[in-house]
Amino acid sequence: MEYAYVNARIKAMKSRLLDRSFLEQLINKPDIDSLIAELEKTTYREELDKAGVLYSGIHRIEVAIRKDLVKTFRTVLNLIRGGETESYLTLILNRWDVQNIKTILRGKKIQENPSEILDCLIPAGELDEAALTELVKQPDVKAVIDLLATWGIIYSRPLTLNFREFSETGDLLVLEYALDTFYYQDALSRLKSGESDDARILKNILVTEIDINNIKTVLRSIRDRIDIEEAKRYFVKGSPDFDMERLTSIMKAGTIDGALKHLEHTPYQFITTIPQEYIVAEKISAFEKELERYLVKKAVSLFIGDPLSIAIPIAYIWAKYTEVTNIRVIARCKIIEVPEKELREALISV
Amino acid sequence: MVDFGIPIGAGIAFGLGALGTGIAQSRIGAAGAGTIAEKPEMFGLMIILVAIPETLVILGFVVASMIMIMLV
Repeated sequence: MEYAYVNARIKAMKSRLLDRSFLEQLINKPDIDSLIAELEKTTYREELDKAGVLYSGIHRIEVAIRKDLVKTFRTVLNLIRGGETESYLTLILNRWDVQNIKTILRGKKIQENPSEILDCLIPAGELDEAALTELVKQPDVKAVIDLLATWGIIYSRPLTLNFREFSETGDLLVLEYALDTFYYQDALSRLKSGESDDARILKNILVTEIDINNIKTVLRSIRDRIDIEEAKRYFVKGSPDFDMERLTSIMKAGTIDGALKHLEHTPYQFITTIPQEYIVAEKISAFEKELERYLVKKAVSLFIGDPLSIAIPIAYIWAKYTEVTNIRVIARCKIIEVPEKELREALISV
Repeated sequence: MVDFGIPIGAGIAFGLGALGTGIAQSRIGAAGAGTIAEKPEMFGLMIILVAIPETLVILGFVVASMIMIMLV
């Protein structure tokens, strides 16, 4: 893989990402129209113009930034076509497939309008817009899984295996957990065969994601007083530091405060510094937000890693995704007139 | 008897310099092409960056010339 060309190009693309001062300008805009006018000065102009034909207001922004994100991810993938690197990058992009399938399943469970579901999807993975549109048209959860199986999409396997339990309990968490577990296990097993630096970098990020998911599950389970044996079912295996035994011992602490003590002297000890009032009120969202910020920061910090490795494309994908998330947050906050302080708290700063 | 050591030494001084320049320029050239593809305005800077390793081969040439002058 000729990383010199690809990574120099990606770094040049990175220089076009919106910086903090530009985000400040967006925050200071009084309404959606002025926000769009400001965004038209950036690389989003092309997609905003196209989206402007059919949509207006926040829908215009949502559609434009989504299309721009997908186009950017496709550009990165096309630069890396062929060989091991492409399969590694596809592993990262597949997380959007998992996210999209989960969104569709949730939408179908509550019988949401197909166009509303489609608005929430990001066709950045292997399932493109046409495939997702077809999935969204299906009448129920069973039909979605059947269609995935008909297409031979690997994610139909965990869904089919766990569908019986879902139909008996009606608990969508069963399918979502099965999907997450399958994604991480499949990704880690594909990385096991590779001993290259690229495989190591990717594995490091995936393991961090697994750890963060498991810590979130532990905290939620403690808050909701879920039985340890029941909670153990939802832990994702694959992390060497936070294995089943360690997660179970954290669960046994029984309180959020006790669980946080177990996280001291680990890479996640930063969440122990969250103000006491959140711990007392068992506000898990504050912890989840900090954990997600840590993951994004870790992934984006790969920009200063090995310049001739997969670190640069991975960092760019996360940086772009963060930018789009921030624009979306600003736009939505403008619509519902969220106070500036809360808006700033909701942003992911890198 | 002809002493081949001096011309061989000059050849090594020039040849290794050229090899080093080639390796460096291939990497810088590839990265430069990637940068120019996204930011054409960087063309001038890239030309300078690609040319910098030329100093290696020029240095090799100077050393080789000095060795050859010793022959005379």
